[in-house]
Amino acid sequence: MVRSIMNRRKRKKNSQPQQHKYPQNLSKQLTSNVNNLKQILGEPHDLKIRQLKLGEGNITCAITYIDGLVDSKTVQVSILANLENAKQLPTEGKELFQHIYNKLLSVIHVEKGKTLDEITLPLLSGSTLLYIDGVETALIVDTSGGEMRSIEEPVTETLIRGPREGFIENLQTNLAIIRRHIKDPNLRFKTHQTGRRSKKNLVVAYVDGIVNPALVKEVERRLQSIDIDIVLESGYVEGWIEDSFLSPFPQIMNSERPDKVVAALMQGKVAILLEGTPFALLMPINFSNILQSAEDRYERWIIGTLLRGLRYFAAFLSIFLPALYVSLLTLQPGMLPSMLAFSIAASREGVPFPPLIEAFMMLFTMELLQEAGARLPQTIGQTIGIVGGLVIGEAAVQAGIVSPIMVIIVALTAISNFAIPAYSIAISFRIIRFGFLFASGIFGLYGIILAYIMVNIHFVNLKSFGVPYSTPFAPFFKRDFHDVIVRSPIHQIKDRPEYLQPQDTVSMDNQGEKK
Amino acid sequence: MNPFPYSDEAISENELMFAIPSTIMGVSILSLPRKLALDTLYSDGWISLLLAGVFFAILAVIGTKVASKFPNQSYFSYASTLVTKPVAIGIVIIQIILFIGLSAFSIRSLAYISQQYLFEHTPMEVISLSFLLVVVYAVSGSRAGLFRLNVMFLPIILIVTIIIAVFNITWIDLKNFLPLFKTDMKGYIKGFQTSFEVYIGYSIVLFYVGLVNKPKKLTKKVIVGMSIPIISYIFIFFVTIGIYGNMVTANIELPSLGLAKRVDIPGGIFERIDTIFFTIWTMAIFNTASMLLDVAVLLITSIFKQIKKRIVTFILAPIIYYLVMLPQEIHQVQTASILLSQFMAYFTMVLIVSLFVIASIRGVGKNEKKS
Repeated sequence: MVRSIMNRRKRKKNSQPQQHKYPQNLSKQLTSNVNNLKQILGEPHDLKIRQLKLGEGNITCAITYIDGLVDSKTVQVSILANLENAKQLPTEGKELFQHIYNKLLSVIHVEKGKTLDEITLPLLSGSTLLYIDGVETALIVDTSGGEMRSIEEPVTETLIRGPREGFIENLQTNLAIIRRHIKDPNLRFKTHQTGRRSKKNLVVAYVDGIVNPALVKEVERRLQSIDIDIVLESGYVEGWIEDSFLSPFPQIMNSERPDKVVAALMQGKVAILLEGTPFALLMPINFSNILQSAEDRYERWIIGTLLRGLRYFAAFLSIFLPALYVSLLTLQPGMLPSMLAFSIAASREGVPFPPLIEAFMMLFTMELLQEAGARLPQTIGQTIGIVGGLVIGEAAVQAGIVSPIMVIIVALTAISNFAIPAYSIAISFRIIRFGFLFASGIFGLYGIILAYIMVNIHFVNLKSFGVPYSTPFAPFFKRDFHDVIVRSPIHQIKDRPEYLQPQDTVSMDNQGEKK
Repeated sequence: MNPFPYSDEAISENELMFAIPSTIMGVSILSLPRKLALDTLYSDGWISLLLAGVFFAILAVIGTKVASKFPNQSYFSYASTLVTKPVAIGIVIIQIILFIGLSAFSIRSLAYISQQYLFEHTPMEVISLSFLLVVVYAVSGSRAGLFRLNVMFLPIILIVTIIIAVFNITWIDLKNFLPLFKTDMKGYIKGFQTSFEVYIGYSIVLFYVGLVNKPKKLTKKVIVGMSIPIISYIFIFFVTIGIYGNMVTANIELPSLGLAKRVDIPGGIFERIDTIFFTIWTMAIFNTASMLLDVAVLLITSIFKQIKKRIVTFILAPIIYYLVMLPQEIHQVQTASILLSQFMAYFTMVLIVSLFVIASIRGVGKNEKKS
């Protein structure tokens, strides 16, 4: 609803975006073509133009490309060398053009472009243009390349056991990595262009025959509604197409692990990959997805199940622990066994603040430390750990500002939070933790349960691309439970998740034949 | 456009099955053993509980039959077909008032009990306001969401109840049950009447059956849904009587919470489990209050079709808050809610039977279209 209001307001402004379009046709004159190009780009020094005369007819032609975007070896070996070494070239422009197009370029992908519009975008994406004097068409030779990061282990999601490769900023490489995992001809990559100015390629990936076709349609419909000038990171796309931007919970998962993306595709989800970022988007998701790690399936099922249980427990601690501690201390002291109550009371002797303020201060410091640690360069990053450890652990207790037990509570909370596999959900937990803390400070356990009910109300109303966030608990899908709380043995997981309504519901062909 | 039709506003049969016990089981279970122990001797209260339960289960099934004769029709529209529009409006208005009142009183009782058990110094106004706001938040969301909440909370509530009971089994003294069948007829009838107020939530079938998506085994699901509270009530009643005996139970204000008090968790991490039990039970009371309010909202929107559900909820919220704070003493709340629920029990009873009779005599509904 809020979104529609915002859209309405936007429409009122009614400022038409300035379109930079050049539908102008190329001219026959080579010099004017080159000059036009220079003019459009503002004569940058990374625009390289090499003019050469070809054949007996001495026809001028020009090779232009943007330095750094192209693979210069390809330009030299497959274009320039071929042109220079060619013999018996036609003397007339058009024939020469056809000859070059058909025979001389040892590059796989060559196109023809007739308008300035058609040629500038490929040029800016790393293609090389070949103009020939007297021909109104330019050849667009795909030579894209240039420097890129090599494939490394993903930094944000490390596993003990599992593939060591992560996505990189190059889209083609990322797609290739996915292809290497799924050699199914039904794997689909649909390319879109996003950003009025950035014109980045964005690929919607899914496996045809598994995915629910209506889901793909919905994803594409939302993608087409994107209207911004630049899409820097997949977060821009996520922010545009997610269901509820007011929710603290992510409705789209991001990952830089190809194996995670592949697993999701095989379940019947849709992935979005964007040029220039290693983070792929996965949708739709529900709450149970968020606490699952890719590694759950790589370890044996008992270990996977237990670790998953541990993670659920960690999530519980991460949200509730400070709130529970505060409520037990302030409003429900009778619930603690007397010995424990005494030892806590003794440790709190001299602490000048009520537990709520104490907990808030410590949690806030913890947040500061985390943020500072993330922003600092890695070499200094360790210092913050030492400083933080000293500040939180030793000095604060010694100074009598906080009780040692509070330090334990905050440390436990922070550690539990690190055990949550996805950063995007871990950060949501950090937000709602404060909500729970204040609720318990005011109402004790009653406040915690009210806050819990509220989170649940939010969950049942929240949707991710039409999938309720509370699936498979409610709406209840019995068969999906083989991979929610318990990670069943691999050979027991016969069905793809029912909440995704996949076309092909069974992931095993022989045992699990459709009834 | 939604790629996943199951997540639409429609309610599934299973969700209705969960909603019935969620609506029925609320505040009343906490004091139920006391009231029954007052009416009957020894452990005989279960007979009244069971009879009342079966009686209302039958009524629920009849109500389901009536409602499912008019698939995809709102309660108001099929009631108008059966008993003419003016009469239907009268009935619906009475029901709206009843549901709003019951919702308000369950909130008030919750606030009272939590003040007793959780905190003494927080004012009643704040406790009930915070709870009411959460209920309003739930009701103003989607109706399917509300049913999903029932599905999510009910298992937790039942599991906790069972745990509490299981931990108490060692304390049960079999002598407390005996002798059997000593109550006279009058006592049974009194107990039967007392049990009315713990089952009134069953009438939601009248309103929600029309919203159920593709019903197949609706009657069966309604029976299963009704049997959950019957079994839980009898179970809790037995455990309470077994531990405390009839005399003591009759004198404890909230015997079911007393059960939780006795639980000793091995290892001694927590004491006073009744606090946790009551906290969890807050979820049950929340379910009841929100479902009752949702029925009221549903009825209002079925009469005034142009008003949005969210707006109705927001208008009702202050009215409910006024009702919550209206009684000065908790005894007034108890008397009022007993009156209301007794009236509602009889009213709905007569209503369902007469609707059923009229529908059968006139032969309207689905059967009519077929012939």
